[in-house]
Amino acid sequence: MTWLVWRQHRIQFLVGAALLAALAVLLVITGMQMASQYHSALVACTANHSCANLSSTLFLGSHAVGFLVIMTLGAPVLVGLFWGAPLVAAEAEAGTTQFAWMQSVTRSRWVAVKIGWMLLAAAVWGGIISALVTWWEGPNNAEQLNAFDPGRFDIMGIVPVAYSLFAMALGIAAGTLLRRVLPAIAVTLAGFIAVRTVITLLLRPHYMSPVTVYYKVTSGFTPPGSFWKIASGAVGPNGVAIDQNTNGNVVNGVPANYLPASCVQQTRGAFTPPPSCTRALAHFHGFLTYQPADRYWTFQGIETGIFLVLAAALIAVSAAVLLRGDA
Amino acid sequence: MNPIQQAPGRALSGPAAIESSGLTKCYGKVSALTDCTISVPEGRITALIGPNGAGKTTLLRLLAGLTRPTAGQVTVNGTTPRQDPAFLADIGFLAQEIPLYRRLSAEDHIRVGAHLNPRWDAESVRERLTALKIPLDRAVGKLSGGQRAQVGLALSLAKQPRLLLLDEPVAALDPLARRNFLGLLAGGVAAGGLTVLLSSHLVADLERVCDHLIMLASSRVQLCGDIEDLLAEHQVLTGPRKDTTAIERSHRVVQVTRTPRQITLLVRLNGSGVPVIDPAFEATDVSLEELVLGYMGQDAEPAPTRLTAVGEEQ
Repeated sequence: MTWLVWRQHRIQFLVGAALLAALAVLLVITGMQMASQYHSALVACTANHSCANLSSTLFLGSHAVGFLVIMTLGAPVLVGLFWGAPLVAAEAEAGTTQFAWMQSVTRSRWVAVKIGWMLLAAAVWGGIISALVTWWEGPNNAEQLNAFDPGRFDIMGIVPVAYSLFAMALGIAAGTLLRRVLPAIAVTLAGFIAVRTVITLLLRPHYMSPVTVYYKVTSGFTPPGSFWKIASGAVGPNGVAIDQNTNGNVVNGVPANYLPASCVQQTRGAFTPPPSCTRALAHFHGFLTYQPADRYWTFQGIETGIFLVLAAALIAVSAAVLLRGDA
Repeated sequence: MNPIQQAPGRALSGPAAIESSGLTKCYGKVSALTDCTISVPEGRITALIGPNGAGKTTLLRLLAGLTRPTAGQVTVNGTTPRQDPAFLADIGFLAQEIPLYRRLSAEDHIRVGAHLNPRWDAESVRERLTALKIPLDRAVGKLSGGQRAQVGLALSLAKQPRLLLLDEPVAALDPLARRNFLGLLAGGVAAGGLTVLLSSHLVADLERVCDHLIMLASSRVQLCGDIEDLLAEHQVLTGPRKDTTAIERSHRVVQVTRTPRQITLLVRLNGSGVPVIDPAFEATDVSLEELVLGYMGQDAEPAPTRLTAVGEEQ
């Protein structure tokens, strides 16, 4: 069976491997340049004690490669579209299941071997791309850019492996149920985008209850590391939430219309609020609702788990239909 | 004339490769095969005949285990068709559309078969295709329809099955290739250990190699038996246009053809072997073609008394 899978799909495997190799060459070369650029910048800023604003002054890599890296957001769905969707649908269209299933192999073995190799290929695809991107982004990660940002969270760590497995499973299921290649590709694309969007926007913020911290607006508060801000604002003297939607001045996060006139800067240049303003500000508290930075891998794990469960369910449906249905 | 009578589906002498009773397959509300009770003798070539849409393909797919019956039982090589390597190894099946991997060559298919089957005669396929001047290394999708059919047929034989199920295997072949292939089948059957059930519309071809016949029409079995016996059971009666109720009382009239002066009846003699003794009618033996056309032309509802006139000419 394995030989048949290889012979049938070797062009896909070779194209996939070639794409991975090209990406690897590009990212390894530019990644090494970025790493050395970052290290020399680090040495320079340590010498003149300006490392605090390194992240705002240093731009690493090129826009073109950066764009390509962001585009790996779409890499997982490719295996679903070009490998998963045609896997069963192309055979159903050509009737070749009638050839394969009349050799001396049971349908369950055909299903297991074929789907098994495809899932393995999907995991390798997602894993290699994610490993390359995660390594390439190392210097940027060290600068503590937001690791929870969907454009970063979704292309690094272990989630791309789960997305790839899910895309493959979705493609296989669509092809099995629709038995036509093009409709299966369309459904796979639409389904993948829909599920990823819904989970990213609606589910992900609630994987764990966020932490809310109240702090004096005069002292401010920034959690350590690359945290994920869910909400922020200020509450007034009686614990009443303050309407942040204002076109006027804002002082330490508090709109000026809640504050005495002395808080409003009248002249250009450096401004030190007078004591009357400071006293008024002391009655206000800022709040920050966020997911702490050390939850990053927990979130990666939860997201991975969700997509693996979805993939397993889709594979189970496909297998049941293939084993029970007609050739 | 030969007085031997045989009822459809009657047990045959010798073991049966296929036996079914009440086999029914419905797709939704449409019945593709209804109450099919047949028996196919081992070590012979059996023809499966019927008009388009009669259920031939459904029957073959049920026998191969590619689809499951809605009702009824079937035994193939002594067991119910199932997903089991030993069962599958004994069945050769070639679907009508010759499903092969279009981008793979014949040689690739030979190697696939070698990987997937316990018995596999790769050399016979190579020899046969080389003799037919079919390139082994060209993608099957680039071969002509006839060449593709030859590849499919050679592959189904390479498996060395005990039972070969072929769905219109010779439709794509030219007359010479058809004759050669049917000769090959006959040789394989004569050598022993092979039973063939093949569907075809080409009665003349079937007549040459088959000795058993199953006829389907409107999803039901019309005839099942040895061709010789079936021919002996039927007669064509030609006589003046007159009342035929006496004949209908003692025999089943399959088909009636009327011309202005005379009437022609295809009748199935009743089981007790009573000959037709109306002196006004001339009785002649029936050919396989006449028999097949007669059953195809009749209204296939199981209502033997209802007659259908076809045409106005003899």
